[in-house]
Amino acid sequence: MKLFHENEGITRRQFFKGAGMLTVAAVISGIFAKFGFDVFAASDDYITQRVAGLYTLDESMAIRKSHENPEIIQIYKDFLSPGKLVCVSPKAHHLLHTKYGQDIPGFIAELKNPHYVPEAEPAANEETSAEEPAA
Amino acid sequence: MSNVNGKVLKHGTQTRTMHWIHLLAFIILGLTGIGFYWDIGGIASIFGGEANASLVHRWTGVVFIVGPLLYILLNFDRFSRFIDTISHFSKDDFAWLKVMGGYLPFLKVDEVPAQDKYNAGQKILGWLIIIGCLLVILTGFPMWLWRHSVPAVFLAFCYDVHFWTAIVLILLVLGHFFLAAIHPKSRVEFSSMMLDGYIDAEITAHHNAKWFAELKESS
Repeated sequence: MKLFHENEGITRRQFFKGAGMLTVAAVISGIFAKFGFDVFAASDDYITQRVAGLYTLDESMAIRKSHENPEIIQIYKDFLSPGKLVCVSPKAHHLLHTKYGQDIPGFIAELKNPHYVPEAEPAANEETSAEEPAA
Repeated sequence: MSNVNGKVLKHGTQTRTMHWIHLLAFIILGLTGIGFYWDIGGIASIFGGEANASLVHRWTGVVFIVGPLLYILLNFDRFSRFIDTISHFSKDDFAWLKVMGGYLPFLKVDEVPAQDKYNAGQKILGWLIIIGCLLVILTGFPMWLWRHSVPAVFLAFCYDVHFWTAIVLILLVLGHFFLAAIHPKSRVEFSSMMLDGYIDAEITAHHNAKWFAELKESS
């Protein structure tokens, strides 16, 4: 039985076509990759600058912690836990905590009627005092 | 059909190996990709869950690139001959396209024009697969590596191009499989690419008359 095989090797035209195809693919991929790496570098640079800016802003603040803020401390002493400093007083809990889910109907009723008393308010003696921690 | 005895080595061992690797990678990529796009939990489960399927998709994508790239670098002569063949469209190729190679049952054809190693349809398929592969590769990497840095619009564009190119490629490969493995006129091609690389000289003399004339001249 006769076997037919292709000739090995390539002509000059075939070489240029193969090399040209590879070059075109490499150039397109290279341009695309360059764009991607540039965008990645720009994004990285932006994040670095943003982080540095936030830290610089934070360091320049006179008061950097909310529990050390004299105005907040005064609000607690005057209004949220009168006469003393209780970090989660019933009033603070009621006024400052987020309402969600089953709390929403009661919250809407309270907004409509300022004298509305919620059914399940936490008792004052159940709260932990910042100055006098529970034993 | 002419009466020619003998066998033609149409696809060498390395070509067939590359074709197998690319095919298996393509099936895995297609399956996982379809699973992601339509959120089909059953497909993700085959690959060990969605997170693993995502990893499999990415690293199979690397095999999908490295396989043919290694083949091209190690077999530059074969690659060059392939590119030369598929980039050469003669009057016979256009005539072949006019009658669709005689594959369509409602187009009566007396004689199909003589073809090179690859017929005009295979040449077009070759270009579509090259362009399609480049598109899915180029859009795949930003979705993997630069998803947190490139603009959202560009990322969405990559997803769209990746998806639609993959759909076109899947349809092309299904058509390619039908013609190469099922269609009675051309299914003899199947074993030459998937098994031993050989095909009957008589079939080549009929389907690839121009190429066979070159083979006879050189042997």
